[in-house]
Amino acid sequence: MDWTALRVSLWLGAGTIAILLPFGMWFGRLLAFRQFRGKLLVEALVTVPLVLPPTVLGFYFLVTFGARSPLGQAFQALVGESLPFTFEGLLFASAIANVPFVVQPIQRGFEAISADIRDAAACCGLTPWQRFLRIEVPLAWPSILTAAILTFAHTLGEFGVVLMVGGNLPGQTRTLSVAIYDRMQAFDDRSAGVMAATLLVIAVATLMATTALSRRVGPRRA
Amino acid sequence: MWVRDVPERRLSVTLHQPGPIPLDVEFACDAGDVLAIFGPSGGGKTTILRSIAGLYRPAHAAVRSGADTWADTDAGTFAPPHRRAVGFVFQEYALFPHLTAAGNVMTALGHRPQHERRDRADALLNLVHLTERSGRRPHELSGGERQRVALARALAREPSVLLLDEPFAAVDRTVRRRLQDEIDQLRRTLDIPLILVTHDFEDVVRLATHVLLLERGTSVAAGALNTLMSRPDLSWLREAVGLGAVFDASVARRWPDRGLIELAFEGGMLLAADRDLAMGTTVRVRIPAREVILATREPEGVSLHNVLSGTVSAIHADPAFDHVIVQVAVGRVLLLAEVTRDAIGRLGLAAGMRVHALIKSVSIDLLAVQPPR
Amino acid sequence: MTRRIVQGLIAGVLLLGITLPVAAQRSPTIAVAANLNFALTEIAEQFGRDSGGHVELVFGASGTLTRQIQDGAPFELFLAADEEFPNQLSRAGLTRDAGVVYAVGRLVLFAPKGSPLAVDERLEGLGRLVKSGGVSRFAIANPEVAPYGRAAEAVLRKRGLWDALQTRLVLGDTIAQAAQFATTGNAVGGLIAHSLVLGAGFSDRGTYALIPTADHPPLRQRMVLLKRAGPVAARFYAYLQSPPARAALKKHGFVVPE
Repeated sequence: MDWTALRVSLWLGAGTIAILLPFGMWFGRLLAFRQFRGKLLVEALVTVPLVLPPTVLGFYFLVTFGARSPLGQAFQALVGESLPFTFEGLLFASAIANVPFVVQPIQRGFEAISADIRDAAACCGLTPWQRFLRIEVPLAWPSILTAAILTFAHTLGEFGVVLMVGGNLPGQTRTLSVAIYDRMQAFDDRSAGVMAATLLVIAVATLMATTALSRRVGPRRA
Repeated sequence: MWVRDVPERRLSVTLHQPGPIPLDVEFACDAGDVLAIFGPSGGGKTTILRSIAGLYRPAHAAVRSGADTWADTDAGTFAPPHRRAVGFVFQEYALFPHLTAAGNVMTALGHRPQHERRDRADALLNLVHLTERSGRRPHELSGGERQRVALARALAREPSVLLLDEPFAAVDRTVRRRLQDEIDQLRRTLDIPLILVTHDFEDVVRLATHVLLLERGTSVAAGALNTLMSRPDLSWLREAVGLGAVFDASVARRWPDRGLIELAFEGGMLLAADRDLAMGTTVRVRIPAREVILATREPEGVSLHNVLSGTVSAIHADPAFDHVIVQVAVGRVLLLAEVTRDAIGRLGLAAGMRVHALIKSVSIDLLAVQPPR
Repeated sequence: MTRRIVQGLIAGVLLLGITLPVAAQRSPTIAVAANLNFALTEIAEQFGRDSGGHVELVFGASGTLTRQIQDGAPFELFLAADEEFPNQLSRAGLTRDAGVVYAVGRLVLFAPKGSPLAVDERLEGLGRLVKSGGVSRFAIANPEVAPYGRAAEAVLRKRGLWDALQTRLVLGDTIAQAAQFATTGNAVGGLIAHSLVLGAGFSDRGTYALIPTADHPPLRQRMVLLKRAGPVAARFYAYLQSPPARAALKKHGFVVPE
């Protein structure tokens, strides 16, 4: 069991949530409550990472930020290291890959709040920010939590993007999923098996949590 | 329109918009008025309420409450709802599902200091007779109870106007009667105008002091209740409700052994079926036009109890209908009678003629009852 | 109550996010061709014992590793499975110098226990199996990215079996993955690295035959120090050319140049 790799995986998951939840809450809410021209296109773009193979994401990431690109070279000059092949770069790529997992459930959660309730909140004298904190978020929180859990689980399972963008560097970008692959190549099936089982357990636990949460949404809609 | 001498709390509303939702209304209400906005579904009634609350922004709007300008699109002002002192009871109540009844009411008490809020909420829930249920969530409350919470929450705001959107649409008959009485009682203690939107004329007849008839966003008629009710030319009103005069009367005398009660009104006396009411009680009376028979000579030996003399003030023949509506002035009250064309011809009825209106005691509806002062 | 849970969770996650691990170890990362999996692990351990220096090893196909270095991967030393890939890096100015050849590899034909394939150095057994249609799958490394794969292709072409096996080949993206395929019964066998067979103790998991070096371009394996290499990496580079390391390499089936 590669504990360092597990730690990298957990950090990656937590970090992705930390970046994406605030974004998702803002953007998911915007998509839920506003109509605008081109909304269909925006919603499709949000979904794109879902259907693209991770290698495509990895490829574009390397092309845009790798050491051979102008952006990458600028970054390197500024910061001293490249963006790919670092944990931070991986985090960035992971955030992009997980946008649909965060935005869509949150959008549905806010959509489920009837316009009447939001109007009533306004007529109660609540400012838009107060409405958000006291009425909208409490009502949408099961889906916010679902978004967080889904994103976390999905990040743990990421492989293609991690390998392409991360480079399997121990302690930095060698996540558990990549470590399994690594161990297999070293003919260490026992290690690989333990880590695979761990990821499986986490996946099942995640699904159970999200199912339980989605049931919670029911009785509240009185 | 109608003007009283208390302009400080006056709500004045002007709304104009060609589309997408056509609007063309202009009215004002004072404290104590109950303005019923009546019309067919989809006619724009709710939009008017939403415009007053600031939830909808028409192309041209001027809304003033007392000295505050809530909206003046020409000047570019449009205050959002949370900056208008408006209480809104939504059709489906829109209670916050994650809060208790007390919690719902307290949400609207943000303008009060923290330590006062709980007590104020309790007082309001007490006012709407919901004290024991204050710790319940909306899904645990009945329809009537939810409406009361919605009312308490709207009042918590200490609004300058109370808006009710189809308040009785979601409840059944018996609950509706009770709620109407309670709202009627409530509004006498409040010192603000009440604007009520409905497509059910019963609500209008029971609660309103003034009516605004709306058709496709345009005000087709407006005025005090009796004046409006006795207009003979509102054909769709006839379709919707049935025409008939509505006016107030007071109990003069009872004859329980005869099964009759005598009511005094601004045109004379009426005998109606007996009800257990104290002397001096004010009642709202409705006489369906269909139940009124006209005679050019005072009849003899008839079974009905009411023979009122008056003058034909207007005759309205709508080509779509076989019957003709005759408006008869009896003292200061206008009655309506539905009569066939044939009868008009036979009797030679015309404006200015003296006629007798014949009404059976059982045909007189006693609607709202207020105890004597 | 639930609101507090949400607030707590969000705060917790944000806090976690802020205290991100900043590049954990500062041990140099060494890019190593996959065929050196067992050999280098052993040598690195020895290096640690002998000199106290610690290095992190990342195994992959030489071509993939080269690409990553070009994209900015922070490796300090690169042990390739051929010479062309490191030379590419030198020409691009990414290395300190042209490096040295540290080992020469050998290819073997491997057949797992129970396979119908009979191994011999001239691939006659394979030829017979191909003719009789008994080859389900045959494993080699991807010639595009793995030098051992290129060598395998050369051998197969020389024996006239390349075309016949086209539809039967499974390509591992590193030689280690090819070895995986070859040894786990997913193929009748494969052309894999001698060092891997020795290292994983495969001698008792099947049979193998050493392919004569004349049958393929020599697997001269070159290593280079990258521009950013630090002192520990440089020491390791020197260590790899020292007697203990050379002995280990020989033990793992490599020929070590004098």
